[in-house]
Amino acid sequence: MTTYIEKLLDRFIVEKEQKQYREAPADKYREAVRYEKEALTDLQRTVRRLAYMLKHEKPVVYPDEKIVLLRTVTTVPEIFTEREFEGIKKEHYIHEQGKVCNINPAYDMLIAAGFDKKREEIKGVLQVLTDDAEDVESSEKREYLNALLEVLDLITEFADRYRKEAERVGNTEAAEVLSRIPAKGAENFREALQFLRLVHYCLWSSFNYHNTFGRFDQYMYSYYINDIENGILDKETALELIEEFFISCNKDSDLYTGMQQGDNGQSMVLGGLNIDGTESYNDLSDLCLQASLELKLIDPKINLRVNKNTPVEMYEKGTMLTKQGLGFPQYANDDVIIPALKRWGYEEQDAYNYVVAACWEFIIPGRGMDIPNVNGLSFAHAVISSMEKLPQCTAFEEFLEIVKAAVSEQAVELMESAKNVYMEPAPLMSLMMEGSIGRAQDVSKGNKYNNYGIHGTGLSTAVDSLAAIEKYVFKERAFTAEELLTMLDHDFAGKEEVQNMLRFEAPKMGNDDDAVDGIAVKLLDWFADSLEGVHNDRGGIFRAGTGSAMYYIWHARAEVPTADGRRRGEALACNYSPSLFTRLNGPISIIKSFSKPHLMRVANGGPLTIELHDTLFRNEDSIRKVAMFVKSFMDMGGHQMQINAVNRDKMKDAKAHPENYRNLIVRVWGWSGYFVELDEVYQDHIIERMELGM
Amino acid sequence: MSKEGIIFDIKEFAVFDGPGIRTTVFLKGCPLRCKWCHNPEGLSVNPQLMISKNGCVGCGRCREVCTHLGNCVLCGDCVKACPNRLIKLCGDRMTAEILAERLLRDADYLNRQGGGVTFSGGEPTMQSEFLLECLKRLKSMHRTIETCGYCQTDVFARILEELDYVIMDIKLADREQHKLYTGVDNSLILDNLEQVKRSGKPFRIRIPVIPGVNDSEENYRQTAALLSGAGNLEMVELLPYHKTAGAKYEMVGRTYRPEFDINQVPNLDTEAFSQVGIECRTM
Repeated sequence: MTTYIEKLLDRFIVEKEQKQYREAPADKYREAVRYEKEALTDLQRTVRRLAYMLKHEKPVVYPDEKIVLLRTVTTVPEIFTEREFEGIKKEHYIHEQGKVCNINPAYDMLIAAGFDKKREEIKGVLQVLTDDAEDVESSEKREYLNALLEVLDLITEFADRYRKEAERVGNTEAAEVLSRIPAKGAENFREALQFLRLVHYCLWSSFNYHNTFGRFDQYMYSYYINDIENGILDKETALELIEEFFISCNKDSDLYTGMQQGDNGQSMVLGGLNIDGTESYNDLSDLCLQASLELKLIDPKINLRVNKNTPVEMYEKGTMLTKQGLGFPQYANDDVIIPALKRWGYEEQDAYNYVVAACWEFIIPGRGMDIPNVNGLSFAHAVISSMEKLPQCTAFEEFLEIVKAAVSEQAVELMESAKNVYMEPAPLMSLMMEGSIGRAQDVSKGNKYNNYGIHGTGLSTAVDSLAAIEKYVFKERAFTAEELLTMLDHDFAGKEEVQNMLRFEAPKMGNDDDAVDGIAVKLLDWFADSLEGVHNDRGGIFRAGTGSAMYYIWHARAEVPTADGRRRGEALACNYSPSLFTRLNGPISIIKSFSKPHLMRVANGGPLTIELHDTLFRNEDSIRKVAMFVKSFMDMGGHQMQINAVNRDKMKDAKAHPENYRNLIVRVWGWSGYFVELDEVYQDHIIERMELGM
Repeated sequence: MSKEGIIFDIKEFAVFDGPGIRTTVFLKGCPLRCKWCHNPEGLSVNPQLMISKNGCVGCGRCREVCTHLGNCVLCGDCVKACPNRLIKLCGDRMTAEILAERLLRDADYLNRQGGGVTFSGGEPTMQSEFLLECLKRLKSMHRTIETCGYCQTDVFARILEELDYVIMDIKLADREQHKLYTGVDNSLILDNLEQVKRSGKPFRIRIPVIPGVNDSEENYRQTAALLSGAGNLEMVELLPYHKTAGAKYEMVGRTYRPEFDINQVPNLDTEAFSQVGIECRTM
């Protein structure tokens, strides 16, 4: 790491100097009240919001910076008043906050072309539209295209104010870069990075969130290699630029929207198969890994695309990163994901181009308005809601049929509810989505792919409960169904020994026990079956997945005790993982168990998460073995995996003495965050998860 | 009839117990009484209760259910009663047949990862007939033991025959010192070291580095001399003493009295080995 990067780390990460420039938080509805009075359309409002944000920004440039921009406006305003939004909610399905989020724009569409060319393209479309005021469709399109032009103008003006500030503080290089971009397309790596920073910054200022970077190593490669070949950069100077860019992702991230501090979706995907079967991992991918390894920062979060031919050396590099305890990389298996996406109707070239959304969902850059996390199905709930019928069942298979119906019923309900989705228009995002200009259609109304993904949570709790019911109620007849229901009703009060047996002696998913794992295969198949062939009202399909997001905490809060010995309110496992309190044989059994389901059918996203004790990362030899372990899960048909290097004692100490662990980073669900900044419920869950650490 | 043994743990994904990814089986019982032992539950060959006080909520249920107060017969009632499973019955009786069956389930996997199975302890050769039967049943896997080398030489020879790889401790080269700190004389150990060297099987030597006990340059030189010329020696590993070694004593009702300064920084200079061409690294 160069002394310059050390200086930047000190400035922005340790001292957080940028915070001194920030305005105080403002009432987020202040603008909306004005917009309501003026009776603006939603499109007009989004443009006005961006204008508000960018015009209120006070440019701050350090004389030594190569990649500039930092946020001084703290609050991004809403465009609707609370009352207006309540009205919209009555008419529409609102996903999360009603914004376009968690998709991957094709940044290169702007970076390569530059705004001048984009303007021409938009004007070209405008020219062929009639200006007949009677033609409603045509005038709507004109209005939309003019809004796009306005967005380009706003960003241009904003960039120019930054250029002037750069000049004022004597940073002539930065000023020079900003004199070319964004008007012109980027001509070198530094310009491309500054351009990306600008666009990304403006996305956050537009209230879009979970703005993933996608295949950075691919769309940035031509700039990188051109500079290398022309002697403008060497690897060291390129690395320094990448590191500065990575640091820039962390400057304002505490202002970004998310469920928890750190959940901002700034992920990046490296490598992956090309359509001709070659590997796309390149020198730039390697430098990104190195940068992440050296900086040890939360953002960007690294995903690695792997396949059966990925050498173990590649996994070793990933494992070195895991060792840092940041909770990434996360691995995605091309051999499972690409066929899965094709099966779901994604065109081959798009399937090969997949990226990972904010957490783990697989989406297509520049072409997907998928909502991959539209809702979550709870397997645990499917079992719980079936329990009252257990006493009527004479055989375990009968009960399974009831659970199957419950899974399907829940799936149908979730699919039915996701109708008539409304999202605020996202003109800037649309400029990087294919066909938005040509069709003059905002991405919020749809794009090439409009599929909805449904998470599947509480799988291991459901499987373990069913396995326990099979064993103790039907096979061994240790207690009757009625007795079980009574025990569950009373949260096992007075029956602690039975609960103890259920928790620690009963069969569990993750022990490579075919009888138990077979139940998981069934549950996931039923989930996939329920979604198969159903279309949403945007013409897309529904995709089943194994992720959990915050549902593992949310679902558990409402959930009653379960037949696996789980107490009332006790959390469900995160993502695609064994239940929290189980004592399993070990990691090998876990990956064998978890590779049994037909993962290609439930490939919406959601990794097998395994916590490994940090001593396993002690030396080169053991790191290689951890790498082999990850590879082996992929070779067995695993879809996605994420390993955490953990030390439970450290986490407990961090909870007790947060002042000593300000920079301790942990994986939460699909993202990493500073441990001491998490809500206590998440801190406790992480500590509990680590008790499983192998 | 398959031989019955007593094991106290089976650990999957062992990465420090031989080549590749391995499963390690811990056999109960050890003839040595090293003052730094960090696996006190491996000392006695018999099953015993292990009680973790950390996390105990003091509910008293273990005492309520006990019908053999003060005269434990390992009935396991308290194990089942503890709501947090803090009481463990350490030591499972298991036949070689059952154990081998369990291990063979992962044979394909472990073979693919260049690994296999490792028998550790305790001292695995203490249950020699059980160990031998296990090894014979696991011929399709790569087989290793972690041994202190204290075993009758003829028995050791039969075990060695069944192994693909050996990991052996040489704790102290000096006979008197060895007796002082481990309770036994090292002559059997050194005889068995010679057998390992002659066997031609690849082996690795481990030295648990105990400050002030065996970390002198002299001990390292003497150990290196014992090993010189062994072409099948892969390397020597120095395992620095861990201050957490005493953690499990209370759980098995023992008191940890190390009799050396646990805060002293150990000498980890590998030169005595590298000078005579032996690869040596610190773990």
